[in-house]
Amino acid sequence: MTETASTGQGGGDVRLTGISKKYGSFQAVQPLDLTVQQGSFFALLGASGCGKTTTLRMIAGLEEPTTGTVLLGDRDVTGLPPYKRPVNTVFQSYALFPHLDIYENVAFGLRRRGIKSVKKQVGEMLDLVQLGDYARRKPQQLSGGQQQRVAVARALINRPQVLLLDEPLGALDLKLRRQMQLELKRIQTEVGVTFIHVTHDQEEAMTMADSIAVMSAGRVEQLGTPGDLYENPGTTFVANFLGTSNLIETEVVGRDGDAITVSGSGGCKLTLPAARCSAPTGNGRKVLVGVRPEKMAISHADDAGTIPEGRNRVPGRIAGTSFIGVSTQYVVDSAVCPRLEVYAQNIERDGRLAPGADVVLHWNPQHTFGLGADQDIAAGEEAAS
Amino acid sequence: MTATTAPPDAPPVTGGEPPRRRAFRRGRLVPYWLLLPGILWLIVFFLVPLVYQASTSVQTGSLENGFQVTWHFQTYWDALQQYYPQFLRSLLYAAVATLLCLVVGYPLAYLIAFRAGRHRNLLLVLVIAPFFTSFLIRTLAWKTILADGGPVVGFLSSAHILDITAALGWTSGHRVLATPLAVVTGLTYNFLPFMILPLYTSLERIDHRLHEAAGDLYATPWTTFRKVTFPMSLPGVVSGTLLTFIPSSGDYVNAQLLGSADTKMIGSVIQSQFLTVLDYPTAAALSFILMAVVLFVVTFYIRRAGTEELL
Repeated sequence: MTETASTGQGGGDVRLTGISKKYGSFQAVQPLDLTVQQGSFFALLGASGCGKTTTLRMIAGLEEPTTGTVLLGDRDVTGLPPYKRPVNTVFQSYALFPHLDIYENVAFGLRRRGIKSVKKQVGEMLDLVQLGDYARRKPQQLSGGQQQRVAVARALINRPQVLLLDEPLGALDLKLRRQMQLELKRIQTEVGVTFIHVTHDQEEAMTMADSIAVMSAGRVEQLGTPGDLYENPGTTFVANFLGTSNLIETEVVGRDGDAITVSGSGGCKLTLPAARCSAPTGNGRKVLVGVRPEKMAISHADDAGTIPEGRNRVPGRIAGTSFIGVSTQYVVDSAVCPRLEVYAQNIERDGRLAPGADVVLHWNPQHTFGLGADQDIAAGEEAAS
Repeated sequence: MTATTAPPDAPPVTGGEPPRRRAFRRGRLVPYWLLLPGILWLIVFFLVPLVYQASTSVQTGSLENGFQVTWHFQTYWDALQQYYPQFLRSLLYAAVATLLCLVVGYPLAYLIAFRAGRHRNLLLVLVIAPFFTSFLIRTLAWKTILADGGPVVGFLSSAHILDITAALGWTSGHRVLATPLAVVTGLTYNFLPFMILPLYTSLERIDHRLHEAAGDLYATPWTTFRKVTFPMSLPGVVSGTLLTFIPSSGDYVNAQLLGSADTKMIGSVIQSQFLTVLDYPTAAALSFILMAVVLFVVTFYIRRAGTEELL
């Protein structure tokens, strides 16, 4: 499997070639190739145990790869111990030294490299993370968010070629996490260092990263920009793990130029662009047709006549609704597929759309994607929740 | 020992108070009830003997005519003048034994805490296994181990180690028994678990990820030890050295069984003054001087180590 985040041949790219890790008989990371462009914000996204942290630790040198090589620019660092690699890590638990104050924590890397006058740099770095007033406190006197910023400062002050972040926001509450996501993104833009960020939070990955590698069971499922992954998931795992997807089992019944026509159970005909179907599309082939809940519109069955021509339509009955402020989420049972999810913005609410009401779901066929039917339709659903 | 049997929620004797107030007062008293057994224990087995010995130390008289409190503080001065070599020797032996315990115990505690894996509990049991045998018997066993002409002495002698120790005045001739080396060896052996256990506890608490973080921040394994592991284990070092130094400076069994008249420690003097010479005032005065010296040394040490808050 060859995955390339970029085609650029920058001198500071991180390149993993055929890297894998085996613990006894357990294959934590399947052999994978990955290139992270210099200066980019790259996310390794996956559920716990998918091998993303192991991959990160192999780049840091904390884990020795079973096979493969790690290249920083043109330099092979596979055999180097962590303290000889121009790479720094922000650990999941921060791992701040409890016996040293914030100043000494941040200065630690500089001092180990024999730099005597650290005062100016430490001051600047503490200002960057807005902790200038806390230099003489001990880590345990700081809040979680402040400790997290110290951990970032302690790693960044060394001007690493690559900054590795291992679920650095996992321990923070939601509001602080949002704030720190923006903060980290700001710092990354400011210092221009390559960030490789490991997370299980798809929202976090999409907010921060320029490109994302979605990992599952030790392999990279798909790699791309957040928008690309969301709009064109290549596997059911990615479709379900990144956001929510409605996946409908269908069979190809025809093709008209760029438009493929498929038929679901109950004879419901849908069309999708051939370019967005990653599976073979010969007549009679099984295809999973996917559409994101927010791309669908919902109309009461009585208004079916007002739906413009050329849209995909699925009739059904509302099984449940939940009002969440900006939108209302509907669960619709249909002959084509049970449990279709639809998110409708709360602009004009139709009072008839209550559980039990007959409705028609409709959407622009361009928003439909197709996946091979040979995979688990529910893959990634549990991992995402 | 009445306190342990008295239930803390015994019905109150006064019935006139409103129930809520009664419950409140009873709740406030619970901590004191819980403290009572400990306080009683300390009064009976610590404070009373202490006061009794203090009064003994300023008495004069003889066994036949009885002892009277005469506030004879001269005893202290006389005792110190007569036995200061034994005092100094005790402190020296205890310090050397403590240092040896640290040198031997630290690597062992480190190994158990970080490298032992699933053998960790077994190794800890082995560390405390000597306690299953009496202190006296273990010390007597060293008499056999270090016996003249035994394998240990034979090896040390043929390896010319005894020549070096003899030059330093730790051994004499081709003997180990009845020399300072034997006494210090015995002390080191007997108090080693008291060093290892606190060291282990403080090392074991260190998050392994801190080692990874140090390595990630350009620290070599040795620098990681110097800058992270050792400073973080200081509370263990301090309590381990105290737990070793304090009892060994007052010990008399090792000096008695493994040493000679020339290696007598202050503990042996106190013991013989109490039980053989029957000069109770001198024995009591010596005890108080030892206590004061140890307290002084320990306070100075803790101040210097700067770990008051870590204890």
